[in-house]
Amino acid sequence: MKLIKIPEDKYYDYKIKAMFDCYKWDPQFCDNNTLSRYVLVLTKKENEEIISLTEKLDKETRLAEEYLNKNIKIAKNLTLPRKVLEQIPNMQNYDKTQNIRLMRYDFHLSIDNNWVVTEVNSDCPGGFAESSLLPNLARNVINLPQLDFTSFGDKMVEEINKKLNKNGTIMMVHCTCFSDDRQVMQYMGDRLKKEGYRIIYGAADHINFKDKKAYCILDNNQISIDLIFRFTPLEWLIQMKPRRWDGYFNTVTKSCNHPISIYAQSKRFPFVWNDLEKAGISMSTWKKLLPETFEVKKLLLKEGYIYKPVYGRVGERISIKEACKGDEYEKILRDVKKHPQQYLLQKDFKSKAIITNDGNKYHICLGSYTIEGKHAGYYARMSQYPRIDSYAEDIPVLIEK
Amino acid sequence: MNGRDIFKIYAPYGAKWIDWVRPVPFVAIDIYNRKPISNWKDRKVMFINEYDKNTAIFIDLPGIESIELGVALARIGYRPIPVFNGTDEQQGARATTDTYLIESCLINGGEKLKTIFLNDNANPAFLLDSYRINRYRSNESIFDNSWDIYKQDVPSAKYFIKNDITKIIVVTDKIQKDLKKILINYQNEGILIYETDSYTFPQKITLSKSLIERFEKEEL
Repeated sequence: MKLIKIPEDKYYDYKIKAMFDCYKWDPQFCDNNTLSRYVLVLTKKENEEIISLTEKLDKETRLAEEYLNKNIKIAKNLTLPRKVLEQIPNMQNYDKTQNIRLMRYDFHLSIDNNWVVTEVNSDCPGGFAESSLLPNLARNVINLPQLDFTSFGDKMVEEINKKLNKNGTIMMVHCTCFSDDRQVMQYMGDRLKKEGYRIIYGAADHINFKDKKAYCILDNNQISIDLIFRFTPLEWLIQMKPRRWDGYFNTVTKSCNHPISIYAQSKRFPFVWNDLEKAGISMSTWKKLLPETFEVKKLLLKEGYIYKPVYGRVGERISIKEACKGDEYEKILRDVKKHPQQYLLQKDFKSKAIITNDGNKYHICLGSYTIEGKHAGYYARMSQYPRIDSYAEDIPVLIEK
Repeated sequence: MNGRDIFKIYAPYGAKWIDWVRPVPFVAIDIYNRKPISNWKDRKVMFINEYDKNTAIFIDLPGIESIELGVALARIGYRPIPVFNGTDEQQGARATTDTYLIESCLINGGEKLKTIFLNDNANPAFLLDSYRINRYRSNESIFDNSWDIYKQDVPSAKYFIKNDITKIIVVTDKIQKDLKKILINYQNEGILIYETDSYTFPQKITLSKSLIERFEKEEL
């Protein structure tokens, strides 16, 4: 992996194009610019290695979730929210051939040059436009047309085209109060609209279910839905009032993702691996790549271990001391003490920083997507400290041919 | 001028504070082909007489008034920084918040701003829409495009202080809950907070958390 700098005199225009042509509507987080001044380039070998590992992880994850869906006793060890646990019986009609399964695996490079995977974004991975449009923009700006990339958006469209009639209606379900959610949905919606689909933007509670089929209840958009493209996390969806969200769990309307995604979204996923292996499902790739993970029995933070929230999504509340700001570290420890069941203990691998030509050091999180088991592009973020959180910068990924 | 051109007027190359200008309403100008509003009012700044190098301003008035006052403040040396972050509703649906008025009015504001010389180091006047938290839905078929301002949407207290900002004037009829959280952070770091309704001289205020706010989960 190497980082190539975008020429200083081209960065302002690059950023404007990222905002207006590539749906980058959140280019600032507090005092941090979240659009990197660099481009990440993978060697052909690195790319092939990650693709191979990603697809192996995905195979294991999908077999695991199907097994867990049928074995509620084991799934209980994931300490899923009670409202989700109650829905497991309703998910028994889950048909993987009817849905589109999308995940993103977070890869990091360790100081001993091994790949480490810290989690799978199983439920609602984002970053679609950054992985589809930004690489092409960056490639033009640095003028290296020989570099390649995989467009997530193109891969997703290919998969949807296989499963949906082109005059179908797709509802882009998201938290409508957040523009950073809308930017993810708007890119995908615009891309799908070009294919001929009817696109509706709405919130999770703008869908109602009748005879297990989803239909939209938005003003002047009351129509049956052919695909639910969901970007509202399940933990939020189940808080919705009035309660209509049960329908998401047993709907026959195609979904991306179906709530079956919740099993691997729990960071307690490793705690069921032994049971899975006893049932004949190998978790060997996961075991090789995920740092050792333990339950938080009592507040005993061992040297070389960190706390992570069970349902963390953007690197928040991870107790990497050198990455915590102000009194954040102490606050996390206080929170772990109050809610130990909401955290787990994980071995702190040593992340290898990439050094740029101008002497800066950056830690990289390379998110590798899968759609229906196949690699579908990259979404990467980088940070000057070894935690990739909301302050991190988005960085386009290009690949050497 | 398209949305991108108008954005560049508010966020010109090389100027300070422009990283906080949110692109969301400017992108919408192009998507929805917005036109300028017809009832723009040229306002006068009545609550201060001159530019102060240690002061930043937050204008939290109904969107159009915020933009109009932001442009008026530009005439005395402050740079308007729009931080509007609401998205547009699904076509055909009713919405809780009128984002289109802001998108349209930013065009008028851009035209005016183009004619005003602003120093690259001009202090910021952050523009907010006080209707942003209208989230009442008379029925469920309405699209909720209300939004909150969060601490990550604006500079930190540390950044303000590093850039010699020691005083913030809030122009509003009522300090709303989301902005209050941010202002309390600033206050705790030693920044002085003043409030005005836009007509009267700003008064120094001390903000404190309500009982409910004190029990809210600690933000990290």
